Amino acid sequence: METILEITDLCVHFPGRGGAPVRAVDGVSLHIAPGETLGLVGESGCGKSTIANAAVGLLAPTSGRVVVAGTDIVGASPRLLREVRAQVQMVFQDPITSLNPRMTIGTAIGESLLVRGRAAGAALRARVGELLQEVGLRPDHADRYPHQFSGGQRQRVVIARALALRPALLVCDEAVSALDVSVRAQILNLLVALQARYGMAMLFVSHDLAVVRHVCDRVAVMYLGQLAEIAPRDALFASPRHPYTRALIAAVPDPDPAVQRARVSVPLVGEIPSPANPPPGCRFHTRCPVAVARCAVDVPALRSVGAAMVACHLA
Amino acid sequence: MRRISLGTALIFAGLLAFIVAAIGADVFASNDPLRQSLLLRLRPPGTATATAYFPLGTDDLGRDLLARILYGARASLMVAALSVSVSLLVGVTLGLMAGWFGGWVSIVAMRAVDTMLSIPAILLAVLTVAVLGPGFFNLVLVLGLTRWPRYTRVAYAQTLQVAALPYVRAAEMAGCGPGRILLRHVLPNIAGPLMVVATSEFGLMILFEASLSFLGLGIQPPYPSWGSIMSAGRQYVVRAWWLTAFPGACLFGVVLCVNLFGDWLRDRVDPRSQGR
Amino acid sequence: MIALSVRDLSLAIGRTNIVDAISFDVAPGEVLALVGESGCGKSVTAQAIMRLLPAAIRQTGGEITLGATSLSNLPARAMRDLRGRQIAMIFQEPQSALDPLATVGNQIAEALRQPLAKVRAEVRQMLVEVGISDPDRRIDQHPFELSGGMCQRVMIAIALIARPAVLIADEPTTALDVTIQAQILALLRRLAAERQTAVVLITHDMGVVADIADRVAVMYAGRVAETGPTAAVFATPAHPYTALLLASIPRLSDVPKSALAVIDGQVPQPADYGAGCRFAGRCPRADRRCVAETPALRPVADGRLVACFHPVGG
Repeated sequence: METILEITDLCVHFPGRGGAPVRAVDGVSLHIAPGETLGLVGESGCGKSTIANAAVGLLAPTSGRVVVAGTDIVGASPRLLREVRAQVQMVFQDPITSLNPRMTIGTAIGESLLVRGRAAGAALRARVGELLQEVGLRPDHADRYPHQFSGGQRQRVVIARALALRPALLVCDEAVSALDVSVRAQILNLLVALQARYGMAMLFVSHDLAVVRHVCDRVAVMYLGQLAEIAPRDALFASPRHPYTRALIAAVPDPDPAVQRARVSVPLVGEIPSPANPPPGCRFHTRCPVAVARCAVDVPALRSVGAAMVACHLA
Repeated sequence: MRRISLGTALIFAGLLAFIVAAIGADVFASNDPLRQSLLLRLRPPGTATATAYFPLGTDDLGRDLLARILYGARASLMVAALSVSVSLLVGVTLGLMAGWFGGWVSIVAMRAVDTMLSIPAILLAVLTVAVLGPGFFNLVLVLGLTRWPRYTRVAYAQTLQVAALPYVRAAEMAGCGPGRILLRHVLPNIAGPLMVVATSEFGLMILFEASLSFLGLGIQPPYPSWGSIMSAGRQYVVRAWWLTAFPGACLFGVVLCVNLFGDWLRDRVDPRSQGR
Repeated sequence: MIALSVRDLSLAIGRTNIVDAISFDVAPGEVLALVGESGCGKSVTAQAIMRLLPAAIRQTGGEITLGATSLSNLPARAMRDLRGRQIAMIFQEPQSALDPLATVGNQIAEALRQPLAKVRAEVRQMLVEVGISDPDRRIDQHPFELSGGMCQRVMIAIALIARPAVLIADEPTTALDVTIQAQILALLRRLAAERQTAVVLITHDMGVVADIADRVAVMYAGRVAETGPTAAVFATPAHPYTALLLASIPRLSDVPKSALAVIDGQVPQPADYGAGCRFAGRCPRADRRCVAETPALRPVADGRLVACFHPVGG
C-alpha cells in the first residue's frame, strides 16, 4: 500500500525531572495514504503533538522509523531532511508566534521558494500573490507585517506559507485551537477546500473531537503515549470500541441543551496519570469504568475489531 | 502619536549636545587645543587677551580648556562607539551561535564568558595596554575585546527563547540554513534587549576611557581626553579648580544622559509594552 | 429574589468605550452564562463585578448590586471584606491562581480568615465535597503536587467554603482536558444547586453553556446581543449573531467536511465602534437603519430579550 507517512514503533522519551524518563510517545505505529486526513486526538500529555513534530523531523525520536514520502527521516542528514521537507509542511497552533514579527508576510510566504531556488524576483512575487489569494487574502497584503492582521488572517498566512512548496502532507498541530468560534469555522472551511483542490494528505492533531470528526477520514485516539484506537471516522464515532474513546466522545459538550441534558453520561473519574510513571498493564485501567483484573497486568496489543484497530482486552 | 515628556526631551538634548560637540569640535573651538602658551598658564574662566578668549580658562601649559574639552568629547565618543561596536560584534556572534548550536559550542562560549567576567576589567585593560603599549587603537581593541561577555549572555538567553518559537521552526521547515535563520529570524527579534545592553555599555566605555586616560594608559599627550585633562589638573585642584571641575561635570552629565537613555530604551523594548 | 444585579454597566479605556450599558440578574442557585468571542467584554465585566479592574479601565456608568448592597460606591475596605465571603471568583489557569508556596489546606482556610488548625475538619469536608480523593493527604500538599483538574477543584473549594452568595467563574474549564472539564462542570452544577449559589459563568464555549447554564447572555463587541433561557436561545436564536455563531460550530451530528456557516470579517476594535448596531458590518440582515441607530434590547418570545431590528424568525 502506498503511504505518504509511515510511522513504525515510534518512541520519544524526554529526560524527566526525577530520573525516570517521560515516555511522551511509547511504541506508536500509524500511516497516512496520499490525500487522506488522519486525525490524532487525545488529552494533554498524550503525545499527539510530539508525534506531529517527529513526523516533520523537528524532533528526534528515541527509536522507531518515520518514513515520509519513501524516505526514513530518523537520523537523516540535514541535507536529506531539507529535501524531504519540500514534501511535508506544518501549521502551528498559535498564529501570533507562528509569524516572525519583523518580516513582511510576503517574505515569510515566499521564503521556502526563495531559499530553495524555486522562484525569485517578479516570479516569486507573483507566486506569493497567488498563494495569498488561495487563502482568501489580497496580493497587496504581501508588504504588511503580521501585527497588521487579526488572528484568523494570520492563520491564513501560515497556511499559505505551508502550501508554498505544494507539500504532499500537511501537519496541522492544533491549528484552530487558538481561534475564536466564528474564525475557526472560516479556517476549517479553508482547509477542507484547499485539500479538495490540491489533494494533499493531512495529519490533523487536535483535542477537539467535533473538529476532528469534521475534517478527518480516519481517527487515531491516543492515551498516555500510546494508541487506544484507530478507525475510519464513521466507524469510530458510530461505534467506539475502546472505553476511552467512548468516554472522550461522551465528554464533548454538545452545543444543543436539549441533546446535552438528555445525555446520561457519567464523567470519567480520576486524573490523567503522569507519562513519567504510567500505570502498568493497560495505561487506561486506572480510570476505566469497565476494567477487570487482567487490565492492570497485561498490556493490550492493538488488534483488529471490525473496521477498527483497538488496544483493549474487552473490545 | 506618542508624546515625549520633558525629562526625556532633556536626555535627548544632552546626548545630542555631546554628539554635536564631539563631531563639530573644530568648528566650536576658537583656539587650537594643542597650542601652548606659558604666559597664559592656569588662567581662570573668562580670561580674555588681545587675540584670544578663554571661556573656561587655560590649563597648566596655557592651552584653551574649552577646546581641549571639545576635542576630549570627540575622543570619548570615538573610543566608546568603536569599542562598543567591536564587543557587540564579537559578543552577539558568540551568543547567537551558542544559543543556536548548543552542545559544545555553547559550553565553550559560556565558559569563556564566565572566565572573562571573573577577571577585573580595569586590571585586564591595564595589563594589556602595558603589553601592547598605550594609544587610541590599542585602547579600542582592549575595551572591545574585554567587554563582549554581557552581549553574549543576553544574546544567548534571547536566542534560546526565540529559537523555540514556531516561526523559527517554520523557517527550518522552509529550508533556511542556520545563517539565514540567525540573521533574518533571530537577530531582528533580539535586537531590542541587545541595544539596551549596548547603551549601558556605551556609558561604561566613556568612563573606562576616562579612567584609563587618567592613569596615563589611554589617549596619549598632547592629545586631550577628559581623563588626562583631569589627571593633569589633579595637582592644581586648589589653585585651578576649573581643570578638574569642567571635564568632570561633562563626564558625569554625558554618562548620566546615556544611562537614562538606556532606561528609556528598556521601557520601549519591553515585550509587555510592545504590540508583539 | 435576586443575588446579583448588574444595571447598565459601562466600562472604558480612556475615552474608548469597551462595555456599553449591559444589564443582567442572577438568582440564587441559577447559572447565568456570559458567552462571546474574545474582545466582547465578558471578562472585564467579571472583573468590574469583583471591583478588580486593571488600572487602565474605568467604570463610566451603571450599578452593581449584591443582595441589598450596592458595590459601586462601597469603600475599598468593605469591598475586600465582601470578596470571598459574599462573592468569590475562580479563574482559567488554576495552577497560576494558587499560591505555589502555601499548602492546599492553608489556602482554603485563608478564605475563612482562620488558621488551618482551627478549621481543619471544615476544610477537609470541603475537599470531600469538591471530589478530591484522599483529602487527608491532599490537605497538606502544595499546588505543584496536584494536576490541573485538582487545582481547579481546590480553587472551587477556596471560592465556596465561606458560602458566598455569588460565584464568578471566568473560563473555569478552558485550560482543562475534555474529560476533566466534564467533571468540573458536573461539580459546579451540583454545588450551585446544593448551596444555592448564584453563578456567573464566563465562557467562549457554546457546549459548556448548553451543558450547565440556566440562562445565557450572548455578548458581542461590548453589548448584550441576546439574552434568555438557554434552551430557548439555542433552539431558536433570535439575534443573527447568535444564529450564525451556533451554525459555525462543528458538531458530532453534522455532515463531515460540509461547509460550516461563517461570519464574514472580524470583530470590530473598540476604537472602530460606529453609531449603530456593532454587528451591522458583518450581518447578512443589516440595512441602513442598523448602521445609524443602536437597537435596544426588547422582548421576543419565550422570555427572551434581543437587541436587533430584524431578529431571525420575527
